[in-house]
Amino acid sequence: MKPARGLRVALILARFEALLLIRNLLVLAGMLAGGALIWSYIQPGEPLWWNAAWQIGYGQVVLAMSVLIAAQLAAGRARRDAMTDLYDSFPVPAGTRVTAHLIALAGAAPASLVLIGGSAAVLVSRGAIGAPSAAVVAGGLVLVIAAGAAGIALAQRFAHPLAGAPAALALIALFTQSGQFPGGLAWLSPWTVPAQLQFLPGPLAGYPPAPAHLAELAGITALAGITALMTAVARPWRRIRLVTAGALAAAVTCAAGAIQLAPIPAADLNHLVGEAADPSSAKQCTTASTVRYCLYPDFSPLLPALRAPVSAVLARLPARPAHGLTVMQATGLSLQDPALTHDQAAARLATWNARLASGPVFAPSASTIYVTVGTTSSGPRLADTQFYVALATAEWALGLPPNARSPSPESPCVPLDQAREAIAIWLATQATHVPAAELAAGLPAPDSGPKSLVEVGGTRAVAWDFPGMPSYKVSPEGFVFGDPTSPGARLTAAGYLLAKAMTSLPAAKVTGVLDGAWGTWRNWHTTDARLAAALGMPMPSVPAPTDMAPPGSPRDPGNGVSGTADSVEPSPLCTIGP
Amino acid sequence: MTVNAGTVAVRAEGLSRRYGSVRALREVDLTLGRGITGVLGPNGAGKTTLLSVLATVGKPDAGRVRVFGLDPGDRAERVEIRRRLGYLPQELGYHRHFTVAAFLDYVAVLKEITDRRRRTEEVARVLAVTSLEHLAGKRIRTLSGGMRQRLGIAQALLGGPELLILDEPAAGLDPEQRLRLRELLSNMPGDPVIVMSTHQPDDVAAVCQRVVVLLHGQARFTGTPAELAATATGHVWTAGQRDQRAHLSWRGADNRWRHTGDHPPTGAETVVPTVEDGYLLLSHRPSVR
Repeated sequence: MKPARGLRVALILARFEALLLIRNLLVLAGMLAGGALIWSYIQPGEPLWWNAAWQIGYGQVVLAMSVLIAAQLAAGRARRDAMTDLYDSFPVPAGTRVTAHLIALAGAAPASLVLIGGSAAVLVSRGAIGAPSAAVVAGGLVLVIAAGAAGIALAQRFAHPLAGAPAALALIALFTQSGQFPGGLAWLSPWTVPAQLQFLPGPLAGYPPAPAHLAELAGITALAGITALMTAVARPWRRIRLVTAGALAAAVTCAAGAIQLAPIPAADLNHLVGEAADPSSAKQCTTASTVRYCLYPDFSPLLPALRAPVSAVLARLPARPAHGLTVMQATGLSLQDPALTHDQAAARLATWNARLASGPVFAPSASTIYVTVGTTSSGPRLADTQFYVALATAEWALGLPPNARSPSPESPCVPLDQAREAIAIWLATQATHVPAAELAAGLPAPDSGPKSLVEVGGTRAVAWDFPGMPSYKVSPEGFVFGDPTSPGARLTAAGYLLAKAMTSLPAAKVTGVLDGAWGTWRNWHTTDARLAAALGMPMPSVPAPTDMAPPGSPRDPGNGVSGTADSVEPSPLCTIGP
Repeated sequence: MTVNAGTVAVRAEGLSRRYGSVRALREVDLTLGRGITGVLGPNGAGKTTLLSVLATVGKPDAGRVRVFGLDPGDRAERVEIRRRLGYLPQELGYHRHFTVAAFLDYVAVLKEITDRRRRTEEVARVLAVTSLEHLAGKRIRTLSGGMRQRLGIAQALLGGPELLILDEPAAGLDPEQRLRLRELLSNMPGDPVIVMSTHQPDDVAAVCQRVVVLLHGQARFTGTPAELAATATGHVWTAGQRDQRAHLSWRGADNRWRHTGDHPPTGAETVVPTVEDGYLLLSHRPSVR
């Protein structure tokens, strides 16, 4: 057969198979499931391209699973349908048919591109920050093609209709378990989950090493294709050419793997640690209404969203504290992440940890509100973040610590029975538009147990979680990452319920009472009862700590508080301020 | 190259094929020319093995085959044979989720019909020849067994093959469809070389110019259907009683017993034998050539 004729036949067959693949219900289902998965990741988070590009890959993994199965079914069709004898009687050789199946994998590209395009549209509509990495985005597409090629290779030996399913499950297992792999091995997985990208102010070269990963996926695609062709090509010189190409592909794959296993350059990590320890070093600051806003360069579009709640609280204050207010973005960085710090010298790691712990960002501050990258979401969570900023501004105004940065979870102070707590919450609710139901959702459920309690000087109270409250995340390997900000003050249910009762009064009346004795209300000795009396309202009913007892939990007869005696960490009383 | 009258299209010499301890073919010699050749034989006689070897799909352990003077053992010549071949294997599974037209279009590509217009015309032609036009848009899984068999024949006809090898083409066809198959094979455009295996001697008698009887992997008879029938001359008779010495006996609609055997009794009424008689007699004799 003349090569031109063989190629023409291969292309026509490939077009036929590609159209089948495009219309394949499995592939369509994979695309929809992949799209839903991507949506679940990018919709609530901050639209950071350097993180979202990898999250788009999560959906590509799901699509790749379906393409693997569909490609295996298509390539194994002749054997499965007892058509081998007939196919063998045709002038078109098996190698051409396999080549056609491989070319037909282009039919999976539209589904992959739909995922990329749809995700990009969502990100852009939400004010995407940064720019997409071509290597990461292309990597997702190549992953889908690689899975299809693997399916075709599998079909040459296993034509059973279920043969693709275990391979697809292996793919998803490699993906979901990649976080458990030690060091840089995680990057060798077909796709991976870089845990900290969402908290970094920009892409970090080598975390993950995207170009090398793209090369690895391309190498795997070539190897799978060559494996498939090896079983179909009989002529020795063609097999020699395939073996040569396979050796080349294996070399590329191995080289790409070796590059991915290399540690991230110490200089890059050193720079990142410096940024995390002293965020002011990498910021662009602007001042508005005497408040400084310091954001990373790519994040300037977020400024209006941060200014709005601050300005709204400031407009309701009768007086501002003497010390200024700074709203500053900070990096959430954990050096416990083995994928980030593998193969770094222990001494260097210790130095970085010490630098992080002693950095200005972790020094107590009464005048800085830290907003961690990745937490200033647009969309539904924006209101929560704005409430957090408004509340922190009100706390700053009332002498409460606005928030604190900590490399490890610590117990913040509690403004137990302090009127300023309710006033801060009331100011934040007036300045923002968080639905009342969401505020009420911060009250613990009756059976939530000791974790919803705070204890100050032997007195226990029920805590209240406000919308947008900073929280850590724990990776599958157990390292803590994410938002190292802890609330400056752990608020109580009593404070929230008093603030809620205040919202039922005319705002002008409350403002009048506050304006009349602002200095008194800022004083930490001023109690909730005094505020309620000044407003002419009864004290609201507050759930007792005993209501939080989990069923069957032991009781502490000494103070009548539910829970075991050592299950509640004691917290200090908030005594900063007048 | 077209096959001219009198040209030998297929020549097989000493073909042998073994599957483990089973000898499927034993030194089969065969010469096929233009027209229809029927390969008769019981199950396990080696018909499918012989046809798969002729279709270049199976490889003989010994012997040599030439198709249109080309050697199937040579890769390039094998491809050339396949370009001129139409083949219907005995058990074809079909891609059941394909439509009839899509399947034929796909096979047409595999037969290197790369021009789209020609492919469309060719698919329409074979659909018409096999009376499947009205089913073109139907999925194969919805077709009956007979319809699928016609589809199998349709795919074999794609490209107007010079050599048509049909393994049990009448299997699954109802009486009318069998007659239509005979009509189709008898009026094949281009007058190709046709080799068909069958269990049905009357199909052979109806359409075949030549017949090969395969028994236990051996070609026990090669000749015309009339010659096969003639081998039973004097060996078929009717009587009012059943004759225990006959190889086969059955009572006909006229209530008389028809016997096939080697020893007609005195006074029995001998009858003109059929191809079926010749085949039956042959299958009960050690060798008739």
